[in-house]
Amino acid sequence: MSVELPRTMRASAAEARRPAEPPTPGRAGGEAARASRGAAAEVAVDCRGLVKSFAGGAVRALDGVSVAIKANEFFTLLGPSGCGKTTLLRLIAGFETQDAGSVAVYGQLLDGLPPFRRPVNTVFQSYAVFPHLTVEENIAFGLEMQRRSRREIDARVAEMLALVKLEGMEKRKPAQLSGGQQQRVALARALATAPRVLLLDEPLSALDLKLRTDMQLELKRLQAEVGITFVFVTHDQHEALTMSDRIAVMNRGKILQIGTPEEIYERPAARFVADFIGETNLLPATRIGERRFRLASGEELETAEPGAAGEALTLAIRPERASLAPPGDPGLAGIVEQIVYEGTDTTYHVLIAGGLRLRLREQNREGSRPRVGTGERVAVALPAAAIRVLAE
Amino acid sequence: MRAEARRIGLLAPAMLTIGVLLVVPLGLMAIISTLARGPSGGIIWGQHSLDAYVQFLFERDLMDRLALNTDYLRIFARSIGLAATTTALTLLIGFPTALWMAFQPPSRRTLLVFIVTVPFWTNLLVRNYAWILLLRDGGVIDWTLLKLGLTSRPIGIMYTPLATAIGLVYSFLPYMILPIYVSLEKIDRRLIEAAYDLGADRRRALFRVILPLAMPGLVGGAILVFVPGLGAFITPELLGGAKSMMVGSLIQQQFGQARNWPFGAALAFVLLALVLLALMAHALRYRRGAKPA
Ligand SMILES: Nc1ncnc2c1ncn2[C@@H]1O[C@H](COP(=O)(O)OP(=O)(O)O)[C@@H](O)[C@H]1O
Ligand SMILES: [Mg+2]
Repeated sequence: MSVELPRTMRASAAEARRPAEPPTPGRAGGEAARASRGAAAEVAVDCRGLVKSFAGGAVRALDGVSVAIKANEFFTLLGPSGCGKTTLLRLIAGFETQDAGSVAVYGQLLDGLPPFRRPVNTVFQSYAVFPHLTVEENIAFGLEMQRRSRREIDARVAEMLALVKLEGMEKRKPAQLSGGQQQRVALARALATAPRVLLLDEPLSALDLKLRTDMQLELKRLQAEVGITFVFVTHDQHEALTMSDRIAVMNRGKILQIGTPEEIYERPAARFVADFIGETNLLPATRIGERRFRLASGEELETAEPGAAGEALTLAIRPERASLAPPGDPGLAGIVEQIVYEGTDTTYHVLIAGGLRLRLREQNREGSRPRVGTGERVAVALPAAAIRVLAE
Repeated sequence: MRAEARRIGLLAPAMLTIGVLLVVPLGLMAIISTLARGPSGGIIWGQHSLDAYVQFLFERDLMDRLALNTDYLRIFARSIGLAATTTALTLLIGFPTALWMAFQPPSRRTLLVFIVTVPFWTNLLVRNYAWILLLRDGGVIDWTLLKLGLTSRPIGIMYTPLATAIGLVYSFLPYMILPIYVSLEKIDRRLIEAAYDLGADRRRALFRVILPLAMPGLVGGAILVFVPGLGAFITPELLGGAKSMMVGSLIQQQFGQARNWPFGAALAFVLLALVLLALMAHALRYRRGAKPA
């Protein structure tokens, strides 16, 4: 009986007929084609020059993506919807075949290997828990596929149930579980076979805020406990900043910056990154010295570092790094347009010369009250060290 | 109270339809099966008799004693066997076909569903006569085999249970393919990807994930083929010939040539009881299976 596979699987299906290779994670295949990439021991996932188009080339989902994800790190792919995050995960998992480039996991080239021969597991965006199997049958699935002994499977399932705190639910069907519980089943199922890399595609996006915050902490705890490399996808910058060891910011099929949350937030490398992560004031400027810039209004600003090369540039500054000063002080002259009380903070909207609006944020402390009122003239102090110089 | 009245009002058309089209004819049949048979067909009103049911299992010998007669039981067994064979064969052909269809690109799927339903556009009689042209001695199949030198004599499929099985499988295949296709198409593709992701190869993804999830379609298709297959009349009549009579033909005969309406009605009732028992047994098993352990 010939069985047709879904379209996305077909490329890998041809591979299935190759002589079997041990699916054991970490053992690089013996063939020359699967030659190890040398001493890349601390790199867990190595993507090089990945290109993937859909619809006959009309949609370029990935446009030359290279990234080296380190062993045991919590690595996040962050970007707006449609930027290619899922496509990158699917290439690593083997559900799609790249047009160009290569993927290696712990030195083992995966190109051409079907998903069931890759040492990575996926937690799907929609959970994709098997509805016809109980919680424990779901968790045991991968272990059964590896033909482990019954005793080993039972022990591992019990261990996983404890890890994701689902003890007592082992006989339930997914339909009898809440979204958060199904999420845990999906996690336990993917972790049970101890993959070397776990791919998570927006695993928290379907949960409500409270549950989501809990699960963020939980995921961090889990990752530390099991010591597996996590490749986590999200479009939520807050989630990315709070959970990740390192973040890759993506837009339109490209990685714009890779760095720690602090690097990404404090020293964005591109205008898109500055704008997408947190709030930012962006000021068009021209370079007049190595570290001096002139705004459209004619006012000049000093920065701590020269930043991006070129003449026409953008200056970026976070609202909490700018501060209000009495009119006439050094800084940009402006008029307070609006004051918004936000509980922990107060945000001031200041209109400056040239019709631009700046946002400033000050923390509310005990007894503090707005020092200025709307319509008042002020100066906006921009410390040189807080200004980032970005390419237009 | 108002809600109750409304409910009854809304249910009325459906109840009326079921009542007129199902309960009334069935009731009529039930009554006929318990009446005495008229001398030249029909029945004698008011003269009750259970002769028809007795006749199903026994015959009266010359001394007017009842003796077991398995002729009719054998016809029933043959019909059940043929219906079961037809169901098994349509499953065997229908599942791979539906699986292939469900994994085609969406635009092509619509066309394929249409193609599967094309036989419905021609009358069943016409389609059966077409099979006669194919199967009979000297027909298309015989002629081709002879020309190819694969056989030297007519193979003589026509008027055998095999011919009936071929005809039934052909007629009922769409009833098997369509429900299976519908249940396969509904399967979330990510579940299959999840199976591959967890290390299942194609065969195990099929048996551990796809097949269990398609079970409602398989069961639905099996019922849609088995039940009408049991009472099939035209195909056995045209392709099977007189040697291998089926329940459908037997019942038709009682109302026709044999002029034994009560016996025909009784046969129909026994058949109905068998089908209902089979369906109930299945429903019970299914409900027990669906219950959380
Ligand atoms: N199977 C597909 N067929 C056609 N276009 C696709 C397919 N998968 C993804 N795309 C397109 O590729 C781009 C990236 O998609 P995706 O990787 O899902 O983005 P993200 O996960 O970041 O939201 C989008 O424009 C999307 O429409
Ligand atoms: Mg996505």
